[in-house]
Amino acid sequence: MRTAIVVAAITALVTIVLFGGAGDASGPNAFVVIGISQGAVYGLVGLGLVLVYKGSRVFNFAQGEFGTIAAFIVFVLIEQVRSVNIPYGVAAVIAIIGVVLIGLIMERLIVRPLLNAPRITLLVATIAFALLAVGVELLLFLPEPKTLAPVLSKLPFEVQIFGFIVEAQRVLVVGVLAAFAGVLGYFFSKTDLGLAVLATSQDAFATRVVGIGVERMSRFIWGSAAFLGAVAGILYVPISGALTPGALTSGVLIPSFTAAVIGGMTSLPGAFVGGVVVGMIQSVSNWAFGHYSLGDRLWQDILPGGPDAVLMLMLLIVLLARPQGLLGTEA
Amino acid sequence: MGTATEAITGPLPAAEHDRWRPTAAGWAARVGVLVAIFGGVVWVTATVPQYWADRISLAAIYAVIGLSLNIVLGYIGQVSLGHHGFVGIAAFVAAYFVSEKMGCTPQLGCGLDHFGGALFLAVLSGGLAAMLLGLVALRIRGLYLALITLAYGFMAERVIFEIPFLTRGGAGMPAPRPDGFTSDRAYAYLTLIFLVLVIYVDWRLVRSKVGRAILSIKHSEPVAASYGVNVTGYKVLAFIVSGLFAGLAGGLFAFRNLNVTSPDFNFSIALLWVLMVVVGGLGNRTGVVCISAFFALFPFLAELITPLERFVSGTYGRSLSQVALVFGALLAILTIVQFQGGFAEQISPITRWLRGQRFSMHPEGHGPPPKEGAAKHALMAKLGLHKKSEPHAATDESASVEPGSQAVGPSEEQPEEQPTPAGARREDS
Repeated sequence: MRTAIVVAAITALVTIVLFGGAGDASGPNAFVVIGISQGAVYGLVGLGLVLVYKGSRVFNFAQGEFGTIAAFIVFVLIEQVRSVNIPYGVAAVIAIIGVVLIGLIMERLIVRPLLNAPRITLLVATIAFALLAVGVELLLFLPEPKTLAPVLSKLPFEVQIFGFIVEAQRVLVVGVLAAFAGVLGYFFSKTDLGLAVLATSQDAFATRVVGIGVERMSRFIWGSAAFLGAVAGILYVPISGALTPGALTSGVLIPSFTAAVIGGMTSLPGAFVGGVVVGMIQSVSNWAFGHYSLGDRLWQDILPGGPDAVLMLMLLIVLLARPQGLLGTEA
Repeated sequence: MGTATEAITGPLPAAEHDRWRPTAAGWAARVGVLVAIFGGVVWVTATVPQYWADRISLAAIYAVIGLSLNIVLGYIGQVSLGHHGFVGIAAFVAAYFVSEKMGCTPQLGCGLDHFGGALFLAVLSGGLAAMLLGLVALRIRGLYLALITLAYGFMAERVIFEIPFLTRGGAGMPAPRPDGFTSDRAYAYLTLIFLVLVIYVDWRLVRSKVGRAILSIKHSEPVAASYGVNVTGYKVLAFIVSGLFAGLAGGLFAFRNLNVTSPDFNFSIALLWVLMVVVGGLGNRTGVVCISAFFALFPFLAELITPLERFVSGTYGRSLSQVALVFGALLAILTIVQFQGGFAEQISPITRWLRGQRFSMHPEGHGPPPKEGAAKHALMAKLGLHKKSEPHAATDESASVEPGSQAVGPSEEQPEEQPTPAGARREDS
């Protein structure tokens, strides 16, 4: 019920803002549109974070790297393996399969041995894995940014929504996010497998007693998280414009954590909503810092990191005032 | 010799070490090794080229950072992903003080009093920054606290380090070294002195009532509280001490680099610092200092291995610091998954020997308890193999062949039920 209210409220707000100022390409509303698509990426990575948190009770700092690795695999397949001429779709599928395998290997080699270790230990282990991935990417591809073509290269590059010109890839990201959030929400509330995963996260021992393989659940969780991360990476890198080692860890992971925390860390629709909210706030504060001035200097010159500060303050306030987030439960 | 008590209660490792003491020759050997280690560090610092002395001061600063992080991670069991915030704020404060307030320039140099004032302010600002975070930590712990520290460090990195008057818009704030310490070697000595000071303070802190209270929080907050430990107060105190150390490291870092720029303090370096403490061994001073210095020096040490250097930079066209990242992360994963005591546990036979115990490869009280070793230990004791204080053992300082350690030592290949091989080996000594 609360979910429905929050989702409806935010949808209504977005609609009002969009229709209120349609056509003004430099106003705050244009930034709202960009913010929503940016937020969709945060939501997608946030979904993976929530999934792992539900299953393993840990914040997965390697979630962003799943995406970066996938983007690099696609990059290698379509940009560097020229002789074979692999179609984009095939490359994306290969990348996703590869990243899911990496996720499963990570689960087997790092997460499984730490099943009963303190969660902080596992947290540090995921950090180590993320740094390892960044290091390997640095060794293989050097720090110089690369570009990756968007998925929808066959379709029109830009589409028009509410009078705004939007890249088609951004629309795709929002659609994919909404679909995943819906499917996963259904999965965890209605299917046997989803409930078994939830049970594992609450009490591994009791779950084992009733005959559910905890290891199988853990494998499933990390495989799906890697899948979500890979999809996010492949969709995000073309719109961000630059593929660098650790691209999603440096730019996306922290807003995604904010999104997941605002959503409540345990709620999949919450991650979706949180992502959109974070994206919008970030985008609008970007606009505001570049639009308003103190004296004769713009705010962005006085305080260059202003938009990030807004984001971090938001995270701090949510964590301090309402740690369970907007839609979270104690489950 | 207490064998009657032992027959009833089983082996008492702690009590055993309380009783066993090295002879005068044994103490002399231990002191000799310690002096050799410290003398070695000083000798290396005195003889290496200047640019290597500069790297040694970086290693000492990393060791201070490691000890600072160790208080949060190792002593109170929380993760801080925002330490680059403390270190960076302190570095900028120190540089700002000498450059903007005291008018020091690289040409004119800087007085020692100004340097001292800058370090003092750096330590203070580090402590203050950590106190703010510690107050937040009162409400939140565990994983969510990790997120808070992440947000804190990120905010420092993106907001404070970007303020133009503090960083001179990316050009960096100069921090000229004080008169008398302008050479790299003299400055390396200075950082080493500060490292020794920090090690001493940390050591005394852990041994004090405050230290015991802080350590008790890590094991169980409710239990600590029920014994009358002011959990919240000591937690904030631990954060403050950690911040003071980090502030000192930041101040030293500023003068080591001569120019403080914001890219010096980024998120990934904070992650690397966390990993180096984990690899060093949580809560273990010696391990943390050794591994922190190692992480700082790794790219330079790898340069010394010419074939490796030639392959990475020449054939492969990459810099060795990129290899260091992969190497450090792999070490950390290996440590976390396989050797949870970290480097400290690997060197524990040596450190225990230096503390005046017997040399023994048996990991007593370090890291996770031995799984099958414990059973073997008990069995050996039952079979009467756990005797100690053989007449010749007390004088024998080449301790690896001592009977007591043989009985519990590395005899995995032998079946547990057969006491004879161990006994036979005992005759060899």
